[in-house]
Amino acid sequence: MAAGAPPTLLVVDDEARILSALRRSLRREGWRVLTAGTPAEALRLLDEEPIDAVLSDHKMPRMSGLDVLEAAAERRPDAARILISGWPDEIPAERLAALGIRALVPKPWDDAELKRVLRGALEP
Amino acid sequence: MGHSREPVRIVVAEPPSRRGADSLGTPEALRRIGRGVRIEVAHDAASALELARNRADLVVLDRALGADADRVLAALRRRGPPVVIVTEEATADVALETFTAGAADCVTAGEDYAEVLPGVALEQIRGWRAKTARREVRQRIRSLERLHAAIVDQFPAALAVLEGDGGILTVNPEFERAFPAGSFEGRPLADVLPEDLIESADLRDLLARARSGAERAPRIARTGEAGRVRAFDARAERLDAEGRLLLVLADVTERERLARHVRDLRRYLENVIQNMYSGLVVVDEAGRVAVSNPMAEQILGEPRGTLRGRALADWFGAAAARDGCIGRTLREGARVRGAEGVVTRADGRTVPVAISCAPLLDADGTQLGAVVIFPDVSELVQLQTQVLHAEKMASLGRLAAGVAHEINNPMGFVHANLAQMEEYLEDVAKLLEAARQGPERFEAVSREIDAAALLDDFGQAIRESQEGSERIRHIVQDLRAFAHRDDGEWVEADLNRCLDSTAHIVWTMMKHTVVLQKEYGPLPPVRCHPKQLEQVFMNLLVNAYQAIEARASRDRDTGRIQLRTEVVDDGVRITVADDGIGIPPEIADRIFEPFFTTKEVGEGTGLGLSTSFEIVRRHGGSIRALPREGGGTVFEVFLPKDGGSRA
Repeated sequence: MAAGAPPTLLVVDDEARILSALRRSLRREGWRVLTAGTPAEALRLLDEEPIDAVLSDHKMPRMSGLDVLEAAAERRPDAARILISGWPDEIPAERLAALGIRALVPKPWDDAELKRVLRGALEP
Repeated sequence: MGHSREPVRIVVAEPPSRRGADSLGTPEALRRIGRGVRIEVAHDAASALELARNRADLVVLDRALGADADRVLAALRRRGPPVVIVTEEATADVALETFTAGAADCVTAGEDYAEVLPGVALEQIRGWRAKTARREVRQRIRSLERLHAAIVDQFPAALAVLEGDGGILTVNPEFERAFPAGSFEGRPLADVLPEDLIESADLRDLLARARSGAERAPRIARTGEAGRVRAFDARAERLDAEGRLLLVLADVTERERLARHVRDLRRYLENVIQNMYSGLVVVDEAGRVAVSNPMAEQILGEPRGTLRGRALADWFGAAAARDGCIGRTLREGARVRGAEGVVTRADGRTVPVAISCAPLLDADGTQLGAVVIFPDVSELVQLQTQVLHAEKMASLGRLAAGVAHEINNPMGFVHANLAQMEEYLEDVAKLLEAARQGPERFEAVSREIDAAALLDDFGQAIRESQEGSERIRHIVQDLRAFAHRDDGEWVEADLNRCLDSTAHIVWTMMKHTVVLQKEYGPLPPVRCHPKQLEQVFMNLLVNAYQAIEARASRDRDTGRIQLRTEVVDDGVRITVADDGIGIPPEIADRIFEPFFTTKEVGEGTGLGLSTSFEIVRRHGGSIRALPREGGGTVFEVFLPKDGGSRA
C-alpha cells in the first residue's frame, strides 16, 4: 500500500441502505469505500480496482458472501477478507479458516467494533 | 233355497214332423199349466239334453223320436230331471218299457191328452222340485259339517268341550298338541291341564261363571318355569241348556314376547332419544315439532314440554328452515349430515349447531316429515377456532427465518446510523464550541471536520433510519394483520386482495429465492371468512417456497411461483403453481391428512394442508394438488361464490 494514498475497502451487500451506512461510517475512518449491491458487481470491482480489504454480507441471492470472498482470495490474495452476517452461528468454521477470513462480524454490528476490526485488517 | 222361485221350465222333445199335420199339441197342452211356464222345444237328443241340463224341471219326450228318445232317457235316468213319455200307442207293454227305461210317467196322446198331460207334468215337477230342495239341504249340511270340522281342527287355539260335570267331551288337535295327555274323553279337565295353568287364571272360577252366565272377561293363564313360561288367553262359553261349555285356550306366548319386545324397543329408543347429547326433533310435513328431547329444549332455550306444534323456523329462521337442509329434507327427502346452522333463542342468544336431517318415512316409503338432530357445537367451534389460530401461528413460525432476515437488515443499518449520529452530534458540539470562540476558530473547525459533508451525512442517516424503521413497522404490521384472529363472520370479500396481501407478506421473506408471477383475473365478491382463506393462501405459498428451497440447493438457485385467479362455473379458482421439488406420487394422496408431514420434527405441524383442506371444505369448495408439467406442484383451490350451502 502506497503511503499517503487512502486504503480501498470493497463493501458487498444486497441491501442499499447498509452500503450507504457503511460508506458514511468508514469514509470518516479514512477508507476509500467502494460498494457493490450484487456479487457480480463485486467481482467486477475486484478485477478493476486496487482493493485492500473486502467486507461482504453472507446471505445474498445467487452467490453467498463466502463465495464472494473465495473469489476475492483468488483475485486479490493480499486483501483482507471479512464476513458480516445476521446468522454467524450458521457459518461453518472450517470454511472460514480455509478461506483465511480475518473476522466474522455479526449483523446488526457495533460500529466502533467494526472500525476496530477494519483497522486491524490493515496490519499484516 | 234351490230354484223353487224360479219359473217352471219344460223341455218338449218331439220329431220335427209334430210341427205340422202330425202335431199332438204337446206344447199347447203344457201351456195350460200356467203363464209362468217356459216351454222349449227340441227335435233331437243332443239339443234336448242340452236344454234339459240347463236346470229344466221336466222333459216331455215324444216316443216318436225313436233312438233319440232312448238316448235322452238313458242320459237323464240317474240325475234327472224327470222324463214323461208321450206315446200314441196306449199299450201296457209300452208303459212298462218306458218305466223300465227310467221314465217317470207315460201319457197316451188320446182324446183327453190336453187335459191329462198338464196334470201329470205338474205332479212330476212338484216331486222333482221337492227332491232337488232336499238334496240341496243335504249338501249344505254336509258342507257345514266339513267347515265346522275344518275350523275346529285348524283353529289355532286349544278348544275343549266340557260336560256339565266338568269332564271333557272332546278336544281339537291343537288342544292335543298343546297339552299332550294321550286320551281326553271323559277325563276331568284338571287331569289334563297343568295345575299352575289352572291356578294362574283361576280357570275353575272362569268355567263356573260361564256355566252360570255371569260376566267373564278373558284371562291370561300361564304355565312353565321362569324363562320358558307359556301364556294362554283363556275364554269360556256356555254351549247349551245342559251346561256344556266351550273352553278356548289361545297360546299368546309369542304375542306377549313380541309385545314385550316392542315395549323394550320403545323404552330403549326413548332412553336413547331422551338422553342423547344432541337436540332431536321430529317434525311433520309442515315443519312443526311432533317429538322432541330434553336436549332440544335446552339448546332452543325453551321450557320443558313446550315444543310440540311449534315451527322450527322460530329458532332456525324462516329462510334457513325453508331453503336450508330442513326445508330440503321436507320437500325433496334429501339426507343432510352436519350442516352448519345457528339457533337463535327467544332471549336473543345464538348457539352454533351442526344439523343433520333425514326424511321420516312410513313402511310404504311415504314421507311423513323429518328427523332433525342438532348437537350444540359451541365448544367444537371454539376448539376449531383455536386450532385454526394455532396452525396459523405455526405457519408464521415457518416464515420466522425470512422475517428475521427482513427485520435484521434494517435493524443493522438503523443501529449503525444511530452510532454514527452520535459521532455527528459530537462534531456538531465541537462546531458550536468553536462558534462561541469566534468566527476564525469556527471557520477552522468547520474545514477540519467538513461541516457541509457532516450535514449531508447527518440528514442522510436520519432519513435512512426513518425508512428502515418504517420498513420494520410494515413487516410487523403485516404479520400482525395476518396473525389477527378471524372474527367468525361471513363477509363478501375480494379474493384477489386477500391473495395479494398474503403473497406480499410471504414474498417479502422469500424475494431472494423466488420470482412471483401474478395473473389475477377479475373476480366477483365471494362470501367467505377472508382471514381463514388468507391462511390457506399462506400455507400454499409457504409450501411452494419450501418446495423451491428444497430443490434450489440441488440445481438452480431461484424458483418461480405463479399465482392465478379466474372465474369458473359458480365460483372462483385460485391456482398456486411452483417449480419446486414436487410431491412424490407415493404420498400424493396423504398430503391432506392431519399430522402428515415430511418435515423434521419441529419444522412443520403436519396440519397446514389438512387445515387448508378443512377451511376450503367449510367454504363448500375443494382443493387438490397436481404435478406441474416440467416439475413442481400445482395447487388448485375452488371456492363457490356463495360460500357453499348453509343450514
